[in-house]
Amino acid sequence: MTTADVLMLALGAVAVGAAAAVVTTRQIVRAGLWLVVALGSLAGLYLVLSAELVAWVQVLIYVGAVVVLLLFAVMLTRAPIGVSEDLDRSRWPGLLIGGGAGLGLAALLIDAYQWSTVDLADGAGAEEVGAAIFRSWVLPFEVLSVLLLAALVGAIVISRPDVSARVGR
Amino acid sequence: MNGFTIATPAQVLAIDVRLPDLDYAAMAPMLVLFGAACLGVLVDAFAPRQSRHTIQFALSFIALTVALLAVIREARVGSRELTADVALAIDGPTLFLQGTLAVLGIVALLLVGERALEKGGPFVSQAAIPVGSEADRRQAREEGATEVFPLTLFALSGMMLFVAANDLLTMFVALEVFSLPLYLLCALARRRRLVSQEAALKYFLLGAFASAFFIFGMALLYGFAGTVSFGGIHDAALLATTSPLLLFTGLAMVAVGLLFKIAAVPFHVWTPDVYQGAPTSVTAFMAACTKVAAFGGLLRVLYVAFDRARWDIEPVIGTIAILTMLVGAILAVTQTDIKRLLAYSSIANAGYLLVGALAFSKEGLSSAMFYLAAYGFTVIAAFAVITLVRDDDGEATHLSRWAGLGREAPLVAGVFTFLMLAFAGIPLTSGFTSKFAVFGAALGVGEAWPVALVIVGVVTSMILAFPYLRVVVMMWLSEPAEQSPTVAIPGAFTSAALMVGVLATLLLGVFPSPVLDLADRAAEFIR
Amino acid sequence: MSLSAYVPILALFALATAFTLFSVGISQIVGPKRYNRAKLEAYECGIEPSPEPVGGGRFPVKFYLTAMLFIIFDIEIIFLYPWAVTFADLGLFGFVEMLLFIGTVFIAYAYVWRRGGLDWD
Repeated sequence: MTTADVLMLALGAVAVGAAAAVVTTRQIVRAGLWLVVALGSLAGLYLVLSAELVAWVQVLIYVGAVVVLLLFAVMLTRAPIGVSEDLDRSRWPGLLIGGGAGLGLAALLIDAYQWSTVDLADGAGAEEVGAAIFRSWVLPFEVLSVLLLAALVGAIVISRPDVSARVGR
Repeated sequence: MNGFTIATPAQVLAIDVRLPDLDYAAMAPMLVLFGAACLGVLVDAFAPRQSRHTIQFALSFIALTVALLAVIREARVGSRELTADVALAIDGPTLFLQGTLAVLGIVALLLVGERALEKGGPFVSQAAIPVGSEADRRQAREEGATEVFPLTLFALSGMMLFVAANDLLTMFVALEVFSLPLYLLCALARRRRLVSQEAALKYFLLGAFASAFFIFGMALLYGFAGTVSFGGIHDAALLATTSPLLLFTGLAMVAVGLLFKIAAVPFHVWTPDVYQGAPTSVTAFMAACTKVAAFGGLLRVLYVAFDRARWDIEPVIGTIAILTMLVGAILAVTQTDIKRLLAYSSIANAGYLLVGALAFSKEGLSSAMFYLAAYGFTVIAAFAVITLVRDDDGEATHLSRWAGLGREAPLVAGVFTFLMLAFAGIPLTSGFTSKFAVFGAALGVGEAWPVALVIVGVVTSMILAFPYLRVVVMMWLSEPAEQSPTVAIPGAFTSAALMVGVLATLLLGVFPSPVLDLADRAAEFIR
Repeated sequence: MSLSAYVPILALFALATAFTLFSVGISQIVGPKRYNRAKLEAYECGIEPSPEPVGGGRFPVKFYLTAMLFIIFDIEIIFLYPWAVTFADLGLFGFVEMLLFIGTVFIAYAYVWRRGGLDWD
């Protein structure tokens, strides 16, 4: 076992444990905070796999922004901080579906790759990603900016400040 | 590893930066729409409120016309190529479907832009105001949002990209670009706000699930093939160095995402609620254009990336097609709301389209494309009629309210009768020619699955004729109810949309051969 | 692979963890324990802690708009970084593409500004 293997296993265990805590905790805000741990350890996994840029994207976008958005959503929907019984559902269906899907996918991937090894490409840094974006993926990249624009227009259409007060604009 | 230090010249040299070749002429239809949509957002930001609607409508109309001309020009040149570093495939099906999208988009835009039927137009300006609040009552009197035009253009440009996408990543981005505006548009109905908000939320949540499936399947397929391009997956399926289980699971998950968008059973549950709750003009847009785009994408995935796995996927998608036809047809019989009825009919039609797609032949492809165009015109016209039958609460969509409409407004009832007959597949309408084409293509293959699908298709068509004819009988033979709805006098836009829809339904039924030939010539994917 | 660049960060993490454990542990052992009501309350910068948002109601929806704005510019910055490190090779093409990207997102910004999304009341 190399250091990388140990790190992989440790971070993987943290990610799985935190993810389990996300769905089992009885307090919705704690679920959001556990998500930070789960996503953060995923970022660590990317780092061990030498995908440096992806790891920091994970931290900046998911840990930094998406979780914040999630907590905002909790605040916007009058969800109480603390145990919320009315959000509880019977656990068995969720356990069955979630666990089944997780185990099924794990079995699938184990079956597909077994003990085959892949050398870590030393090319997932920012330069390679930048080159790939502007070589192969320039069109999806540009379209992404349009998607962001549409999303923001949508945010305004959903939640713009009172319109009738600003008829002049 | 030093990705966060400034790259030294030696490292920079090691990276191969070839700039992609971009065929701007081939991408012109999409670029025009993207540009016009961005301009539309600027118009919404800076133009004075009174003139926004006019400017937006004119801008969208011109952009779609230019996009259509660009498609036609490209089709005349006859280009067949992969461009933007194989992210886009410009081939016959792409151009045919983009052309169809542009034309149907123009017709749907006429409905979206109609303001003669209701003061302030069919939309409200803010989606999330709680129903029944003071702000909600105020906004009911105000002018509607003009953002609907850029959002429609965003959706259409995403759809055009979707049918041209030659790899899963581009396809996913396009999927999001055309889905997001649709979720928003669903929430903007002026009347029955609560149903509209519910529709948007349901569509959004289920759509997000479907997207998640799509992207997870994409990851598995990347694991299988080491690439996300359709050609690459096709080649990898031939070599099959990795477990084929990965291929099939990936395909299944990608297919879930696509089958959700075309509303195939069991991924159809959103359809009736969303079709009912969305503003009717948006429903028309979704029923026609989303169908075209999603089916175009599905056809490309099946025909280009997975044609070697044909024997394995035929039973699965065949079963889905049978379920789709049966559930759509049988549940259509039980509906009492005209928009829900058309939603179930749209589900059943997805099944007929799958029959054509599963033929896995040139005829199957061309007949499915013809079907998409023909169905799109008819369904837009049908929803255009629904916008006209109104009472004090907006559109009167309950079927009992349509009783005796033939005496009140024989012209509108006559048009709707014709459209219903087209849906039922009566000869001399496009409904007949298109069903004939897909079933013929499936029979032409002469194998067990396609033939079984055709049998189910014919049986369900007969079942489905019943609800259509019931509407017709109700309109002409029933006594009008006490307070029957009035038929509004259509504005110029709705009239034009209706006229185009009805004429196309008639012409594609009587002289289908030019369009059939066009679809036939176009029916060849490149890899 | 070389994770050596991250060894200092890892060391810092370890140091911070050790310091926290040490100071919490040592105060448990040697610190005096005298409780009062204020000490037992959750620390909320002097604000009365409450299980629900102030006023028991929901937060205004404009928070959502702010969060959306933040996430969109966050994503934009993410793309700026790989572009910046390959800038020399991409040349004019990359520059123009990035301008298009930023320009489109800037349209969103202008739109939100004109629509009063940046006003706080």
